[in-house]
Amino acid sequence: MDVRAHVSVIFHLDKCIGCHTCSVACKNVWTDRPGAEYMWWNNVETKPGTGYPTRWENQKKFNGGWKWDGSDKIEMRCQSKADAFLKLFYNPNQPNLDDYYEPFTYKYDDLFTAKLGDDQPTAIPISLITGEPIEIKSGPNWDDDLSGSTIYAENDLNLDNLTEEERNQLFEVERLTMFYLPRICNHCANPTCVAGCPSGAIYKRGEDGIVLINQEKCRGWRACVAACPYKKIYYNWKTGKSEKCVLCFPRLETGQPPACFHSCVGRIRYMGVMLYDADRVPDAMKVPDRALVESQRMAFLDPNDPEVIAAARANGISEEFLDSAKNSPAWKYIMEWKLALPLHIEYRTMPMLFYVPPLLPVMGKSVHGTYNHEARNFFTCLEESRLPVKYLASLFSAGNEQIVEAVMRKLMAVRYYKRWQSVGDMNENDVDKILRDARTTREEVEQIYAMTAIPTHFQRFVLPPLQREEAIESTCSPEACKGCTGFSLDPTFNPRA
Amino acid sequence: MIDAFLFIGLPYIALIVAVIGCVRRARLSKFSMSARSSQFLEDRQLLWGSAPWHIGIIVVLLGHLLAFLLPNIWSSVLTVPVAMFCIETLGIACALLALAGLGTLIFRRLTSARLQAVTTHSDLLVVALLFMQVLLGLLSAIYFRYGSAWSTGTVVPYLWSLLLLQPDMAYVAGFPMLFKLHLIGAWLFILLLPFTRLMHILAVPFTYLWRAPQRVVWNTTRRRQHAVAATIRAESRREFIKGAAGVTGATGLLALGVSSKAVNFFKGASHDPEAESAMLEKKLQRLQLTAEERGYELERQRNSMILVSPYAELDPLKGKYFIDYAMAPGLAFKGKDGMPIVMSAKCTHLGCTVSSMVDDNGRVLCPCHISYFDILTGMPNEGAPAKAPLAQIAWALVDATGKVVASRAPGQPVTGTLTPEALAQCGLYITKPGKASA
Repeated sequence: MDVRAHVSVIFHLDKCIGCHTCSVACKNVWTDRPGAEYMWWNNVETKPGTGYPTRWENQKKFNGGWKWDGSDKIEMRCQSKADAFLKLFYNPNQPNLDDYYEPFTYKYDDLFTAKLGDDQPTAIPISLITGEPIEIKSGPNWDDDLSGSTIYAENDLNLDNLTEEERNQLFEVERLTMFYLPRICNHCANPTCVAGCPSGAIYKRGEDGIVLINQEKCRGWRACVAACPYKKIYYNWKTGKSEKCVLCFPRLETGQPPACFHSCVGRIRYMGVMLYDADRVPDAMKVPDRALVESQRMAFLDPNDPEVIAAARANGISEEFLDSAKNSPAWKYIMEWKLALPLHIEYRTMPMLFYVPPLLPVMGKSVHGTYNHEARNFFTCLEESRLPVKYLASLFSAGNEQIVEAVMRKLMAVRYYKRWQSVGDMNENDVDKILRDARTTREEVEQIYAMTAIPTHFQRFVLPPLQREEAIESTCSPEACKGCTGFSLDPTFNPRA
Repeated sequence: MIDAFLFIGLPYIALIVAVIGCVRRARLSKFSMSARSSQFLEDRQLLWGSAPWHIGIIVVLLGHLLAFLLPNIWSSVLTVPVAMFCIETLGIACALLALAGLGTLIFRRLTSARLQAVTTHSDLLVVALLFMQVLLGLLSAIYFRYGSAWSTGTVVPYLWSLLLLQPDMAYVAGFPMLFKLHLIGAWLFILLLPFTRLMHILAVPFTYLWRAPQRVVWNTTRRRQHAVAATIRAESRREFIKGAAGVTGATGLLALGVSSKAVNFFKGASHDPEAESAMLEKKLQRLQLTAEERGYELERQRNSMILVSPYAELDPLKGKYFIDYAMAPGLAFKGKDGMPIVMSAKCTHLGCTVSSMVDDNGRVLCPCHISYFDILTGMPNEGAPAKAPLAQIAWALVDATGKVVASRAPGQPVTGTLTPEALAQCGLYITKPGKASA
């Protein structure tokens, strides 16, 4: 048993209001630089929708992630070790600027310097790359709220599994539905970007599992961009290096949650430590799609198990990490309540970011314009849901609908229970039946409610001190160390010089 | 003069600058090392530019490298006409491929607005020079046929002479201009290597072929623990290696000695006649010397008297050493009465030779363990390590005619006449013990 700690993340999609505050916070902190204007280490997508970069889930085109054919071996879709060398010259799997969008600004100067004339001066859009006027054709959230759009939402790949009837129903104007999907780097336990990097510049931090790119070792071969199935590694066209979400490790090390977490208006984000067995990782993803979610859960270790604690101590995991793991909201959501699910686990990278699927669009399927609260069969709305469970299963459980349904039942049970408590228009026996059917208890429901609706800052973010004083050797300047920890702009480097 | 600069000065300048520059950049400016791909900004034309260019130029450069490194094998392969034809065809085809790719790349650089944003002056310089260089190479290959064959006898020796620090440009000076330019271009590229994007050639990630798929880096506690453990392991390993090396070395030396002896034993003496005769000769010389000495000794023993010294040379304070019949040292003094004192000089303690100098008390010293012997009686002093007296030795004074003038046996009074005039002419002899003086 090789116990490792991982700073793990929960996004509660029921609480996301799609305001993009997280994206803007990240942009201001990290990617407001030449060459990085188009990057959104944190972005929020509308689902159903095509996402950013457009149709990033299309692995037939981008070939990200791992493929498994039932054998002992799990292989990268994008390259083998040998043909990685041919792909240095031209990588057929790499998305180009148009798959994202051409970054732009407006010529605000014209508003002040325009000559006196009959017309109002305007600020025309210009490209942030060429500086030339452009016609804006897309942006990082170009299909925001455009559910039901035949240009965007219809091209969502997760709709492919739906029947014709389900699709038609989804795109009826009165029954349109959508939810938001914020995405950052998943800091996977079995990342393809690390495996694909020819220079060996990408690595996983042993202490907390953050995946970082050593900017001084990166040679710009771009294999990682193609290898990451979530397209969360971005190529900086100006410096010729790849960059990615660093999970705000400088903030983490000082005990603060990352910028996107801290700024989240809906308070949808939770962060806590998970303990996992690194020995189980290589084999955990060699199971059929339907078993992947459960297989990943098997790799996690109970932080209250004395055996695990002893093994963790032997492995150099600090007491602070072990304490955090015991109070981790991530452990509760993923393992205790089994409410949080990974995004597209079928890419087999073992993402360490988990989503609590949204309930509202499911319950929102209604007859005659009212929500359906039938006393006899409380879960019928699940089968007749406005957003098919099949769609959510395609996102969060590699197509295994039972897993998503179990989550939905539990989420609904919490609501029925709280409704009975606060409104009092339900029979107590019915509520107990709902709880039984959802395989939960009053105590658990109370806990879920408390963590979902009224958690404090320190319940949402249980962050261990990362021993910053030990993280960097005392003789080494933190400024000078930036390059090997994921993000730097060498002040002396000027590609135009 | 200009040729000397271009073909001897320039290569050395280029090589030195390239080595120093590349090391400097790889150490101090790691961040600047990147292929600076532009596929992200424009990928349609890049496919038709980058792929053929790189594949073509790599094949051509490998050909150049093989001819340079293995000229003998290369030229022997080329003696087969079919092989030469194939190589020439492949080379020219790849050069054309590279040229076409490069053309596409240049066209793309110049026409795409997005690429203008990332194109530097040095990029333009590099692609322009590359185009010239490949073109010059291709033209040389076409106009001066079978360069793959003739280069091994002309350019390759020139390159090797540069490498061996004995520059010889005899062949190169006579080259056609086309080829000279191609050669100068090559040195220019080496010169430009550390200053342009060309340096990405040195960053080819071969380690990817054998590295583990996942990389984990520990920054804190565990890294330290691992470092300490690794140090301890390394230290104990080092100690073990040191000890093992000592034991092995000693055992080895021992085994060497033993085995050489054993081998000699079983093989018998070596039969080197010269060494053998030299050894025998030495042995003979030694034997002859010993025989001579033994001869002298015997002769002495045969004589009834042995000369100690002329009487006139005797001194009362400084004894005269001689060798007696027992081949032991003896001492002779002139006594106060003018009679000689002759006694053994072999200390009765442990046999050291006593000193010949007589001190104020009329004694001689044995320096080994400090025994003072009275020269008159031969007695050691009180408390000395020696207990017995030094033995008196029988002596005789013989005049010039061979007649014994005076003699004395131990414990006996002096016999014979004792005139000082007669004594002065005499020589002091010791007489054979047990033989009464004549």
